[in-house]
Amino acid sequence: MKLLAIFAAASLTGVLPQIDRAPKFQFAGSDQLAFQITQGAHADVFAAASPKYPEQLYAQGLCSKPAAFATNTVVLVVPRANPAHINSIYDLQRDGIKLVIGAKGVPIGDYTRTLLAKLGLPSVLKNVVSEEDDVKVIVAKVALGEADAGFVYRTDVKPVGNKVFRIAIPAAGQPTVKYEICIPTTRQHPKLATAFVREVLSARGRATLRTAGFGLP
Amino acid sequence: MRLLFGAAAAVALTFLALPVLAIFLRVSPTTLVHELNDPVARDALVVSLRTSALAQALVVALGTPTAYLLATRRFRGRNILLTVVELPLVLPPAVAGIGLLAAFGRTGLLSTSVPFTQLAVVLAIAFVSAPFFVRTAVASFEALDPTLIAAARTLGAGPWRVFVRIALPLAASGLGAGLALSFARGLGEFGATIMFAGSLQRVTQTLSLAIYAEFARNFDVALAMGALLVAFSFFLLLVVKWLSFGWTSPFRSVPSSSA
Repeated sequence: MKLLAIFAAASLTGVLPQIDRAPKFQFAGSDQLAFQITQGAHADVFAAASPKYPEQLYAQGLCSKPAAFATNTVVLVVPRANPAHINSIYDLQRDGIKLVIGAKGVPIGDYTRTLLAKLGLPSVLKNVVSEEDDVKVIVAKVALGEADAGFVYRTDVKPVGNKVFRIAIPAAGQPTVKYEICIPTTRQHPKLATAFVREVLSARGRATLRTAGFGLP
Repeated sequence: MRLLFGAAAAVALTFLALPVLAIFLRVSPTTLVHELNDPVARDALVVSLRTSALAQALVVALGTPTAYLLATRRFRGRNILLTVVELPLVLPPAVAGIGLLAAFGRTGLLSTSVPFTQLAVVLAIAFVSAPFFVRTAVASFEALDPTLIAAARTLGAGPWRVFVRIALPLAASGLGAGLALSFARGLGEFGATIMFAGSLQRVTQTLSLAIYAEFARNFDVALAMGALLVAFSFFLLLVVKWLSFGWTSPFRSVPSSSA
């Protein structure tokens, strides 16, 4: 039985199976997935939360030319109970806040650092209590109420909307979050992989992405 | 028959040794040592040693009396208690992680602010490694010659004196072996720590967590830390062998008077 292996950014967990339920998905940090592909993992499709890794693989001759298929924005989330009384990103400068962010190299971690630098808030990093490997773990730790706040994508909020509040980030700080998709040379099912990518880029794929809260390039 | 068993043993030993050897063969020893100078590796080593030392101090301080009671008393429910002690041995680390969160998390039973602190790492290590110490300690205390204890009692020694002067010295090598096992298991702790304590350089990022954080970013640093853990674990297991002279399985039996 032919089953496509789709390696996709954790933030695509909800939406990609809506576009096509058939493949087997592996959701994780884009950096880890890219590393697995360089190690020879049989991925038919690689969908990353940043152009960085698909472009790197492409430059190394390890995947097809990447195509942008979605955009996103970074938001701040706090638990519903909001134990640290955070109402804006500037409140994160107070001492003793438990902030969870993505590790360096994980797209959400890099976007978060860019955003804080743009807003002149690098001091916020002193309140970081944990650096996670993918965005869904950040969402989980905030939704659980263990962390006071976390930086995630806008599209991560909906599934846990009853557990967290979303705090918008000033537009001036917003990094460009672009998703790219490519077909690794380690693919096993080239035809199906091409069909999957086409489906994601199709009008129906774009509509599904939009409904889930993604932007379109 | 001899040929068949020999072949099976050769395959099994190669399979077990190969990944370990590969860590050392992939890069040169000088590179390994050099990569250990990476700040991530150095910080992780400090965090690992600190948290492991604290956790094992906790395990020995509380585990020794617990093991002594479990070994010397016969009461209803003893088997249940022994099972409770053993449970973390077989629990998936992820279950330990959500259990610790459910108990000590901010929204947990005791609603503490332990998560994300170094104390959380200590608790995670203590939880998963304590059974190795306690189970071995129980076996060591149980193996003590009861006539020695009885003789000491008839000669007028109180229970405290019997424990300190007779039981502890006689069980010492078994306790040491248990501690070495517990230490080795604690150093490798991963799942419960990353869920309960998170991962932050210099605070909660132990060697195991740092290896995971680095493997996609800087494979050589991850290899170097892996090599360090392999070497240290190998040493600890050798210590266990020396201390528990004649053992084949840590939980099978204990020599009665190797001390």
